[in-house]
Amino acid sequence: MTKDDGEMVEEQKKKPCRFWIWALSSVLFRLILISYAGNLNLSSRPEVSTPLTSIRRLAEGYWLKQASMSPYAGSMYHGSPLLLSLLGPLTVQRIKGQPSHLFCSLVFVIADILSAILLRGIGKKLQMAYGLNARLLGLLKSPRDKAGILPCGDIAALVYLWNPFTIVCCVGLSTSPIENLAVILALNGAVTRRVPLAAFGLVMATHLSLYPAILTIPVIFLLGYGLDAPPLKLFLQTRNVESGNRSSTSSASKQAKSKPTAQLPFLWKTVVHFVFWALVWSLCVMVLCRLSLSKHGGLEEMFKRTYGFILSIEDLSPNIGVFWYFFAEVFDFFRNFFLIVFHVNILFMLLPLAIRLKHRPCFLAFIYLAISSLLKSYPSVGDSALYLSLWALFVNELADMKFSFFLFCGYLGVSLLSPVMHNLWIWRGTGNANFYFGNAIGYACFQIVFVVESVSAMLNHDRALKKCNPNHQKVKN
Amino acid sequence: MKNLTLVVMLLCYSFASSSGDSTIHTNNWAVLVCTSRFWFNYRHMANTLSLYRTVKRLGIPDERIILMLADDMACNSRNQYPAQVFNNENHQINLYGDNVEVDYRGYEVTVENFLRVLTGRHENAVPRSKRLLSDEGSHILLYMTGHGGDEFLKFQDAEELQSHDLADAVKQMKEKRRFKELLIMVDTCQAATLFNQLQSPGVLAIGSSLKGENSYSHHLDSDIGVSVVDRFTYYTLAFFERLNIYDNASLNSLFRSYDPRQLMSTAYYRTDLYQPHLSEVPVTNFFGSVMETIHTDSAYHAFSSRISNSKIKSDTPFNQPFNQLSEQDVKEDLQNTNNQNDELKTEKQKCPYSEMRADLHEKLKKIENVDTMVNLSIAVMILVVMVSSSLL
Repeated sequence: MTKDDGEMVEEQKKKPCRFWIWALSSVLFRLILISYAGNLNLSSRPEVSTPLTSIRRLAEGYWLKQASMSPYAGSMYHGSPLLLSLLGPLTVQRIKGQPSHLFCSLVFVIADILSAILLRGIGKKLQMAYGLNARLLGLLKSPRDKAGILPCGDIAALVYLWNPFTIVCCVGLSTSPIENLAVILALNGAVTRRVPLAAFGLVMATHLSLYPAILTIPVIFLLGYGLDAPPLKLFLQTRNVESGNRSSTSSASKQAKSKPTAQLPFLWKTVVHFVFWALVWSLCVMVLCRLSLSKHGGLEEMFKRTYGFILSIEDLSPNIGVFWYFFAEVFDFFRNFFLIVFHVNILFMLLPLAIRLKHRPCFLAFIYLAISSLLKSYPSVGDSALYLSLWALFVNELADMKFSFFLFCGYLGVSLLSPVMHNLWIWRGTGNANFYFGNAIGYACFQIVFVVESVSAMLNHDRALKKCNPNHQKVKN
Repeated sequence: MKNLTLVVMLLCYSFASSSGDSTIHTNNWAVLVCTSRFWFNYRHMANTLSLYRTVKRLGIPDERIILMLADDMACNSRNQYPAQVFNNENHQINLYGDNVEVDYRGYEVTVENFLRVLTGRHENAVPRSKRLLSDEGSHILLYMTGHGGDEFLKFQDAEELQSHDLADAVKQMKEKRRFKELLIMVDTCQAATLFNQLQSPGVLAIGSSLKGENSYSHHLDSDIGVSVVDRFTYYTLAFFERLNIYDNASLNSLFRSYDPRQLMSTAYYRTDLYQPHLSEVPVTNFFGSVMETIHTDSAYHAFSSRISNSKIKSDTPFNQPFNQLSEQDVKEDLQNTNNQNDELKTEKQKCPYSEMRADLHEKLKKIENVDTMVNLSIAVMILVVMVSSSLL
């Protein structure tokens, strides 16, 4: 017994070392790629840099600000003024002989590492919760069985660091690493029950890009109900069966055998705390934005140019999303109608998913992020990087996902064909927009299949747990 | 008293504002046309190139000059001084230097192309350097030289531009708002007849000779073998060589500098279509490019002509009587409006909320380095997050 325990302790010590080796090697890999950034020319790819995340637009906005004009003049920069004051001075500093925007690349590498560390923290908590729930349900007898549970935190962090999409976004100088960091910060705060951190992350994520606002629902669920767990019914059934086993004739057991109507307690206090902190942080952010834009139109201008730009899809340059092609040909009379349709498309999926998956708020957050990165106005591969790594947090539950190889090949094929189609269309002129848009549609289809399959795999997992339970108890008997 | 000042103000504005438009003068263009070919018309080329040099020296850039030369004198096989064109027998200035940009050359100088340049009706393939891209705030100098006669100007010895063609083109330009003011200067025989038919407002025209008079060349250069400059252009250049870009000489002084005895013809100009007084218009309004700059912190806002007029400071003596009056009246008017604003402000200050907002606004304006404050605040926010997340 002691020998096995010792081995386990050693293994556990080795795992963090292995993780840090892989993490540091990914940082090294990024630094090597950054020195070749000029050759790769990633920052001009539409898949990587969108009108919202491009560093060139940020540099332009900073220059306009320094020339005492509004940073939004000329419709180049559409991001947050706080990001401008943070990253702006870095875009200007150059070292002779080094690639341009070197300091910005370093900031993005740091953001990636921080996101990986925070993901690891989330994963650890989820893994602990998974093990705890499995023991409570009677599926695991001793701590030794925990070796069967995969370390989803390490896996998710390494998937995030080594995902080609993340690397490309980091080296290609798009600001999506910072947006991803804000989202992961919010989730980490919610999972580790640090309310100010969660509120800060959520407010910053919403401020930087509008769509993480939908994450308030899973974050509130995380703070109110707690971490991901199988449905409450399973626990109540287990308790009933156990109490039934112990005393089959007592009246209490007969009462307990009646249908369980208890609901999981919702911690209103924490949620109110969260709302308070969210309001505090939003007030701070608004005041700061007002300060920096006091001479250039104030908050109204900022909202019009950032959120207004995102919602009204003014820029129709091609990207890996599906909106640009459609809105290039829609008649002006119907434009507003279709804008509403496309944006409500995200909104009407929120409620049913929330109802169905409220016992798994972290997974709900992943699904929301996947849907929003599929249906947002200016998607880029940075959004996919985020939800793919969040998917890796659920390897334990989603081990039986169908079509995983098909989806992997699909993602690979789409990401390889996309630059080819772009080149054929724009540079050689032998293709046209349909080539590139076909690729974008294929990408959207793969994403949809991915989301649907993960949800069904999770629900199948819950059903399998339900089936497993009475069988397990029968065997015990 | 107030009514009188208003009336005087209106009069001043009507005098001081140029051509009655509410547009302001934003840029200067020059269209310099030499219409004759063959070696013995060397002087026409020299005329045009001299004016090109003058206009460039006084500030108009090549992008805003359309130079049309019907023949190539500099690289003509008869030119003893290859790649050099002179307008004086002392050969002091080489007009064909390094930075001469000819837009229309040789057989491209036709009446059709000339009219297309003026009206802006080009084929799609015509490059921007060959287009007159003026707008409603442009002052255009149109200089034409060559052989002419009664109501016509000869192009390339093959066709002619008639006075009603020119008037029609100018009318089209005015309708399409392609100029604010236009100065037509013609150096040919019987030049003043060429602008007989003009009717568009905002056009000032001067010709080197009247109907029935010839315009003569100035002198013969025995080295090159032909006359090198015409009289009218020679005396125009003599006037301009004394000027630099900062001088404030008026068009009146230019026009009065032409002596009929020296020109051997009467330089006639018509001002009936041109509203401003010639003594108030500086030559650099047409021959150079000297703009008054008004510093403003806000960009992408157009300012009205009234503000620009009230800020004109003219130092030249002939401008004083008019502008002194207008400045005084403008000051009075400004004082009146200031008083009115103060009255309005005292009314508003009764509300404490707006008082607070006004105070905040003033404080915000006083903070000079907003960016460092914002950065500091972000750093403070992150610190608070870290502290609170580790405590709670």
